[in-house]
Amino acid sequence: MTTATVTSASLRARRRPRGRSIGFHVLALVVAVVILYPGVWMVVSSFKPSGDIVGNVNLWPETWTLENYTSALGGIGGVSFWTFVLNSLILAVGSVVGVVLSASVSAYAFARISFPGRGVFFAIMIGTMLLPFHVVIIPQYILFNSMGMVNTFLPLLAPKFLATEAFFVFLMVQFLRGLPRELDEAARIDGCGHWGIFRRVLLPLMRPAVITSSIFAFIWSWNDFLGPLLYLKRPDTYPLPIALRLYVDQTSVSDYGAQMAMAVLALVPVLLFFVVFQRYLVDGVATQGLKG
Amino acid sequence: MRGATATSSPARGGRPRRNRADTKAGYAFLTPWLLGFGLLTAGPMLMSLYLAFTDYNLFRAPTFVGLDNFTALFSDPRFLKSAQVTAVYVVVGVPVKLAAALAVAVLLNARHRGQGTYRSMFYAPSLIGASVSVAIVWRAMFIDDGVADRIQQLLGFPAGGWVGDPDMTMPMMILLAVWQFGAPMVIFLAGLKQIPAELHEAAAVDGAGPLRRFVSVTIPMLSPVLFFNLLLETIGAFQVFSSAYIISGGTGGPADSTLFYTFYLYLKGFTEFRMGYASAMAWVLVIVVGVITAVLFRTSRAWVHYTGDVR
Amino acid sequence: MVRTRTTSRTRTAAVQVTALAAASALALSACGGGSTASAEAAPVATDRDIQLSLVWWGDDDRAGRYEEAVALFEEKYPNIDVQTQFQAWDDYWTARSTEAAGQTLPDVMQMDLAYIHQYASNNQLLDLSDQLGVNLDTDGYDDGLLASGAVNDGQYGIPTSTNTLGMIVHQDILDELGVDAPEEGLTWDEYDAWVREVSEAGADAEPRVYGGTDYTGTLWLFIQWLLQQGKAAFDDDGTPAFTEEDLVAWVERTQPLRDDGVFYPVSRTKQVEPLTGLQVNEAATEMTWDNMTAGYSANAGTENVDLLPVPTGAEGSSQFWKPSMLLSASSTTQEPDAAAALIDFLVNDPEVGEIFGTSKGVPAVAEQRDAMEVEEGSIDDKIVGYEDHVAERVTADTPLPGEGYGVVEVEFKRLGEELAYGNITAEEFAEQWFASAEANLGGA
Repeated sequence: MTTATVTSASLRARRRPRGRSIGFHVLALVVAVVILYPGVWMVVSSFKPSGDIVGNVNLWPETWTLENYTSALGGIGGVSFWTFVLNSLILAVGSVVGVVLSASVSAYAFARISFPGRGVFFAIMIGTMLLPFHVVIIPQYILFNSMGMVNTFLPLLAPKFLATEAFFVFLMVQFLRGLPRELDEAARIDGCGHWGIFRRVLLPLMRPAVITSSIFAFIWSWNDFLGPLLYLKRPDTYPLPIALRLYVDQTSVSDYGAQMAMAVLALVPVLLFFVVFQRYLVDGVATQGLKG
Repeated sequence: MRGATATSSPARGGRPRRNRADTKAGYAFLTPWLLGFGLLTAGPMLMSLYLAFTDYNLFRAPTFVGLDNFTALFSDPRFLKSAQVTAVYVVVGVPVKLAAALAVAVLLNARHRGQGTYRSMFYAPSLIGASVSVAIVWRAMFIDDGVADRIQQLLGFPAGGWVGDPDMTMPMMILLAVWQFGAPMVIFLAGLKQIPAELHEAAAVDGAGPLRRFVSVTIPMLSPVLFFNLLLETIGAFQVFSSAYIISGGTGGPADSTLFYTFYLYLKGFTEFRMGYASAMAWVLVIVVGVITAVLFRTSRAWVHYTGDVR
Repeated sequence: MVRTRTTSRTRTAAVQVTALAAASALALSACGGGSTASAEAAPVATDRDIQLSLVWWGDDDRAGRYEEAVALFEEKYPNIDVQTQFQAWDDYWTARSTEAAGQTLPDVMQMDLAYIHQYASNNQLLDLSDQLGVNLDTDGYDDGLLASGAVNDGQYGIPTSTNTLGMIVHQDILDELGVDAPEEGLTWDEYDAWVREVSEAGADAEPRVYGGTDYTGTLWLFIQWLLQQGKAAFDDDGTPAFTEEDLVAWVERTQPLRDDGVFYPVSRTKQVEPLTGLQVNEAATEMTWDNMTAGYSANAGTENVDLLPVPTGAEGSSQFWKPSMLLSASSTTQEPDAAAALIDFLVNDPEVGEIFGTSKGVPAVAEQRDAMEVEEGSIDDKIVGYEDHVAERVTADTPLPGEGYGVVEVEFKRLGEELAYGNITAEEFAEQWFASAEANLGGA
């Protein structure tokens, strides 16, 4: 309300700014409580002895215990918890590298190079975002199986290096569109070919998009369930989501404490990333829905 | 998404030069994507189309069976159940989720302190919502004598966990979906911020109350974003898998009440190894999603207003 | 291929006599797609390094025991290194199927009766007949039991332990309710009445207790009931030898109990999965395989459980032995001799018997049974005692499931659940199960 125009809205605002602010906070807090409750419940329950978890709406533990964490960290069937973490890490970091490399070059092609078929391929790429991927999982499985790649990380990493996730390509294309073409021209005058323009000029400028993509790629890989479920069969290759499921299958049903502890442990990196990089994430998501 | 055709780059130096160097470079840069598309998308799609007409169990070579898979599909009670379960989830879950997202976005769209914090807080569940951890927690909250049970008893509803009740498992899944409203909310927020304040003020001057303004200014201006969210959320809803798997313990139960379409596809293809049948299911899904997408795009012309249109 | 039933005694003897001499001939004829050119069975080499892979299904507890057993094996054969791996039951078969398709099954694996026919008929398993008497000693076996690992005249699995159906009784609950345990030799109808009685008595308990769990969805129990009526379960090709009417009769006989809410409620069952009503101390009896008793008792937190025979039919109980599991070798193994030696060690060595106790079932070989440190009054003792006790009731031949059994067993259970929720009728149950049976059983 910067102008002096007397509108009913601004009148209301000037008359009761405090009231609106309080109203806002009350509402927002209510929503926040409801939204955060499951998360808080999960963390808090992981510190309670299992018997206290069920039948108790009370959030605050009467007794605090770390035994859930010790049993969760004990691993399963001889495979240590840290092996699972390492597997998840390898997959996640591998995914990030693959995505950043393949999406950036693809985005450069779509956004900065003019070549026959570009429009068609771009439309196809957008189309793949709309495609239910279940139509390809069986043939992909057959393909990887025939190449003997089942039970390795390869089927999970290869797609990342081949820009199969259009979300990232699209994100980077949108970002590139915001960078002025003069930069390209200047670089070309300096004698750079496309590769030079890409590597020396644009890629460094794409940092925000790269960061956003990296974070999403990391988190999505970390949480990926179906892929590892299909391709990884040996417990010592399980990433955390599969290990978590194995753990839940095996813990006696009343041992919710240990399940909560393991669930918390599995989410820690994701939440860490989120807390540190939330701006990139939220901004990245926000620009998705807007044009250019 | 239609923004694919609009570019925001400032004036370029003349028409794009299409020369051989550019073409070579274009394809060179696009090599990973082309490989990926060919090997991992187009090729498999054709193969699954072929498999859909065969009987294939991975042990023996595929045998051609014509339309048998498709006729079997439509007379398979579990298939029909899975279609129904998924349809309910999409038809109920997506609008509720979007409504929640919009409502909270409107709430947050005011310059108050802490708005950014709230925004991030509400976004967090979207990041972890589809994870195994959350599915486990969600299930634990809805068992007999669990959190949900206790709360409903406090409110005077009859006792009973939701996990073992085939009628309550769908509401439980929908709640999980709605809990993740943060992602569409963030997009709505960004869209709301783009609505010029003058429009609101002008409408207010004309005597429009908040509700009228919402309907006549906000919604139309937000319609491209609304469309985008609707499209993505709908397609996403068809693909829910890990939550259903974990919450039902890998069974789709109780009594197939969480037998989502993709989950049944997985069961048929990877536990029973009836890959022809599963491929047929996959193609039915593609067609259905394709039709829905087309319908959404078509009807969007009626209600989606892009700025810059002559009105 | 039609599986003929030869008399196991003559077959075993014949194989042992001709094993060495006919080894090469057998090896050549056994070459059906996918097997390595097998040399004749020779005593396992001790001079070169050998690597074996061993896979089983089970949990943490079983994993620990296998590690111990494997360590002992590696001591005996220092040149052999065994790589181990395990999965939970569901994943296990998915993993094996994938490996089978890629011809990469592990050297030695646990096998189940529900799947052995499928794997053997598809030439995925090593025919161990030529290893008998060379690296694999089966002298300690009852012929009938050994025959359960035979498919189409080949020996594809060695049973590790025996199992038969039994009724686990949660004595603590009964003591609290002041109800007596069921009598031995009671009929199915008498059992149903007893369950009703207990459920009524337990209606006011906190938490509520029930007499038993709905057993209608357990395919093996249905088969047991069929056998008691003198009917056969499966034809030679694995397809059902019974009719839809039989199945409808089975389902309908327990309908009154479901209608009156006498059984442990299915909604509770779903909540406590993978445990069962008895294991959470809310149901007094459950009918299952006797070797589950150890796990049940541990989860229930009490050793005060008993094992009774399952209800009898008009013509007696017709109980049968079922191998709780078998050990098989892959037909594509590079080390058939070593694989056979590993199997031999696991089923015969007394110390291994001591390590596993009855956790896999009562060991098939007497030496292993004797070596178990069985405390009197312990669960192991009860299981062994139970099997001794019912030995005379075990009169029926093991019904051998054909290909696809695993899938229809799961379907049976699922239909039982739908039935319990009141979603389908008995006729629909039979109809849908038979549709699944038609699609899945008796392949090739």
